[in-house]
Amino acid sequence: MIEATEQISQMAHLGAGIAIGFGAIGAGLGIGFATKGLMDAVSRQPEVAGKAFGFFLLGAALSEACALYAFVIAFQLLGK
Amino acid sequence: MSGIGHWTYTLSVSGRDLTFNLDTIFTMWFAMAVVIIFAIIATRKLSMFPNKLQALCENILKFFWGTLDTMMPCKNRQHVPLVASLFLFILIANLMGQLPLRIIHLKSGELASPTNDINLTGALAVIVLIYYVVAGLKAKGAKFFLHEISFTGIVMALVELLEMVTRPLSLAIRLFANVFAGEILVTIALGLAAYFLPLPIMLFEILVSFIQATVFMMLTIAYVSSASSEAH
Repeated sequence: MIEATEQISQMAHLGAGIAIGFGAIGAGLGIGFATKGLMDAVSRQPEVAGKAFGFFLLGAALSEACALYAFVIAFQLLGK
Repeated sequence: MSGIGHWTYTLSVSGRDLTFNLDTIFTMWFAMAVVIIFAIIATRKLSMFPNKLQALCENILKFFWGTLDTMMPCKNRQHVPLVASLFLFILIANLMGQLPLRIIHLKSGELASPTNDINLTGALAVIVLIYYVVAGLKAKGAKFFLHEISFTGIVMALVELLEMVTRPLSLAIRLFANVFAGEILVTIALGLAAYFLPLPIMLFEILVSFIQATVFMMLTIAYVSSASSEAH
């Protein structure tokens, strides 16, 4: 019985690592695309840099949240 | 920033145990007191020729008016109380956790952000949900739930019913996870290299506090706007 709980705990820790890893892929891609869009906009029209940076921060925060959902799941798994 | 443990108080009502996170309640009231006392001091001596404090507050109010004007086409000034109080409360609450001082000693932990508890962010998200459903019902009546009696209309109504669950869920988890992850990150950095590594991360967390308060406000405005505008 003790072995089974230990195995579940090990698997939960493995799952936490996998969860945060895959979650970080999506958030990294999202922030990368957002930065690409910001660079495109600023190089085309340098005068909108201030306004575009505000929208960039907003979009980066929204896509970063996806990684944080994975973080919450991983943290729940670590407690198992 | 003291990890996971909350300072809890258990009350049994008719055979059931209700658990209160007292540290969250305490820090929440502290944040509310900061906002309320600031508002009382700022509005005490209003005049046509504003002093510095009044000018600051007028600029804060103009920020909310400007944001509402850009995101909501008409009749937007009535939503200022909800939007402004949400923004100011979340901002003060987030910044409170970044203070490196022990201002007030609690029984467990220090003066951390109340927003690192999912119960509080969930309550804020439910307030937003109720507000935008009421705003939609006021603007459109029963048409808010069911647009037209047809296949597409019914499918759209079901999708919007689903959105009523996912929108508050994502609002709550986004704010909670950002603040919580920030505090965990500072704790881990403290373990790696104390006193030097946490400093840039704490500065980054101050930026995150502003951004998360703005994101919560922007999403609230977007939800209320999409619920109460005619072209849906």
